[in-house]
Amino acid sequence: MFGLIGHSTSFEDAKRKASLLGFDHIADGDLDVWCTAPPQLVENVEVKSATGISIEGSYIDSCFVPEMLSRFKTARRKVLNAMELAQKKGINITALGGFTSIIFENFNLLQHKQIRNTSLEWERFTTGNTHTAWVICKQLEINAPRIGIDLKKATVAVIGATGDIGSAVCRWLINKTGISELLMVARQQEPLALLQKELDGGTITSLDDALPLADIVVWVASMPKTIEIDTDNLKKPCLMIDGGYPKNLDEKFQGENIHVLKGGIVEFFNDIGWNMMELAEMQNPQREMFACFAEAMILEFEKCHTNFSWGRNNISLEKMEFIGAASLKHGFSAIGLDKQPKVLTV
Amino acid sequence: MHNELKLTDMQTLESNKKTIQESTNTISLDLPDFTTDSYKDAYSRINAIVIEGEQEAHDNYISIATLIPNELEELTKLARMEMKHKKGFTACGRNLGVEADMEFAKKFFSELHGNFKIALEKGNLTTCLLIQAILIEAFAISAYNVYIRVADPFAKKITEGVVKDEYLHLNYGQEWLKENLSTCKEELMKANKVNLPLIKKMLDEVANDASVLAMDKEELMEEFMIAYQDTLMEIGLDNREIARMAMSAIV
Repeated sequence: MFGLIGHSTSFEDAKRKASLLGFDHIADGDLDVWCTAPPQLVENVEVKSATGISIEGSYIDSCFVPEMLSRFKTARRKVLNAMELAQKKGINITALGGFTSIIFENFNLLQHKQIRNTSLEWERFTTGNTHTAWVICKQLEINAPRIGIDLKKATVAVIGATGDIGSAVCRWLINKTGISELLMVARQQEPLALLQKELDGGTITSLDDALPLADIVVWVASMPKTIEIDTDNLKKPCLMIDGGYPKNLDEKFQGENIHVLKGGIVEFFNDIGWNMMELAEMQNPQREMFACFAEAMILEFEKCHTNFSWGRNNISLEKMEFIGAASLKHGFSAIGLDKQPKVLTV
Repeated sequence: MHNELKLTDMQTLESNKKTIQESTNTISLDLPDFTTDSYKDAYSRINAIVIEGEQEAHDNYISIATLIPNELEELTKLARMEMKHKKGFTACGRNLGVEADMEFAKKFFSELHGNFKIALEKGNLTTCLLIQAILIEAFAISAYNVYIRVADPFAKKITEGVVKDEYLHLNYGQEWLKENLSTCKEELMKANKVNLPLIKKMLDEVANDASVLAMDKEELMEEFMIAYQDTLMEIGLDNREIARMAMSAIV
């Protein structure tokens, strides 16, 4: 069994979905009611790989909504309770989707192993970041040439370079793509210097300096809404890969020859027959999903029951190659510029 | 990213440093001072509720056995366990030098207890099991689970032992209702509609005292809903039925 832990993109959205699913007690409730709502196993599904293997899985909605981010204890409980439910249901490998893995990492939930009478087994969970990083890199490699960017001559900026996904993307770009220059942007300078040392390459720079120089920008940090971008200063053509969560880049980057691609989203080769991605507002919800979710499926297809993506900066090139090869084998492909899901707003 | 980027209306975790610091210190920061007068005052009522709750649970299981005599042995075993818990919790109060306010606790349970007695007299086994083995047990488990995280070391140990037993009790009612679901569903729904709001009321009533003990109302309610939902699911109700039943707690 594989599991996916997800959540709605906003409180309003969550109420609408709860109503559709018949969860009237929470659909009618205010945010306080939602803060006390248990996680819900919303759907069971069977998925057949391109190789013919069939697996079963479940989608769990943690009942977290982004409006709870300021309530630290509530957010923590939502994530841990959803993980407990996944484990109690006997799910082998569960992906932490959306804000779930971010909350887990930033609130240091590793210290909360005991949840009621359940001792959480971390090997049953994955952040899905290895697959997400690999998918973003593939999206870059495939789509840049399509809009006339020659990778060998391209300058690539990674915004949020020291994060788990960001550092993995930098590692891949330096070692596997032959790009001309890598610009690394992050808030904290110390880990940035360490990353530069590890990679033996890349240039540390600021966001303002990086944007006018970059042919391709990979965003793996959430962008505050107040940031002002002067699109006139961007290179044309330029490719913006929106790899953060939530995906809101296209609100800021509009204009001729500016191409915004939803990063870290994959398409399955066949219709899956579930409702859960409709809830995540994918353009083709029967086939498209977050790459982190797909990682749980891939690991289940491969019978690789381990916390494949876990902790920070543990994503090696070998792991990316392994998950990438398995991803293709079982029928996943990275979505391209011609396949744009709707905007996911928060 | 840039230092000048500010936290905005779209809050992101990465910019929320304060909460991160809070999280690393949770364990030490959340524990209250067990020696203050206000703590002891609140404890006198919470402790009494627990002691009275365990006593009533004992009495209720013995009473339920009169409706299903062939279960006498099992129910007597459960009842005995409740008395053991009562002794444990009495020791917790004594350890802190607190005298339990038993009069308050009797009043606290009186409405729910009254409903149990009426159901017992009418021979409504489903209602009796819903009240004792589902609602009260889920209420107790949720409160104990929250309490364990903020209890003094002595009470923490006692409560951890109790919680293990309580899951067995929840399980007992659950199993009977599961086996008899086809015939008892209507009564279960009806009894739930009457009694679940009482649980919510009781929770509201203790919220202030509980918060002095560092037990968060929101967390208590969530823990209750988790235990309650789990049990109803095990009994064999579907998501929509559970949602309908849970509605009673909100309105």
